[in-house]
Amino acid sequence: MEKRKPRNIFVHGAISTSFIAENIERHHSRHEIGGHSIFLGQVRADQVEGKTVSAIEYTAYEEMALEKMQAIRDDIFGKYELTCAHIYHSLGKVEAGGICLFVFTSSAHRKPAIEACSELVERIKAELPVWGKELFEDASYQWKENK
Amino acid sequence: MSNPEISIMVFGQLTDITGTSSLQVPLQADSDSMKAELQKRYPALVYARYIMAVDRKPVTGNVSLSGQSTIALLPPFSGG
Repeated sequence: MEKRKPRNIFVHGAISTSFIAENIERHHSRHEIGGHSIFLGQVRADQVEGKTVSAIEYTAYEEMALEKMQAIRDDIFGKYELTCAHIYHSLGKVEAGGICLFVFTSSAHRKPAIEACSELVERIKAELPVWGKELFEDASYQWKENK
Repeated sequence: MSNPEISIMVFGQLTDITGTSSLQVPLQADSDSMKAELQKRYPALVYARYIMAVDRKPVTGNVSLSGQSTIALLPPFSGG
């Protein structure tokens, strides 16, 4: 099988709302689509022992993450009747309130888009070699743990 | 002559143990002996949760290593 170069999903810093809006707009010409599902992950200002998370700094093993993401996409497209799927994840620092994950699926009817979006989010969090370092206001940090 | 050195990528909280994201260590014959070598150099790794990836695939069991292997240490993922 021909080895495809996996598409990039990483964005430096927070994912802007204009980037998200442009992505949605790009689908207006796709008249076979009847429903979109969007998940936006946002950096939460968790309280830990009296300290507040001010930002998360993301790092990734990029080559492995992109290969894995391509395999997950292939699974999802095999399982659901999707028109398209777009995935973006932040790298580097994202302040509390910033968007760090954008998953966007589309299909002719709503259900495949909704279910595929949800499954993509779960698999991204469980299977991609990405790490979040939670930075506190006093410059200390702790490593994020996915629940 | 001792074994040639190979570089190992280190990610996430494991960099708190190694102090760097790229280690240079003598090449070992397989992943189990590489883990033992790393734990000798960084005893805290014994208690750390991580998997080794060779050529971007998580190692299950023991796999042989060569000078061309791409080796990485991956703590539990926490993206999203």
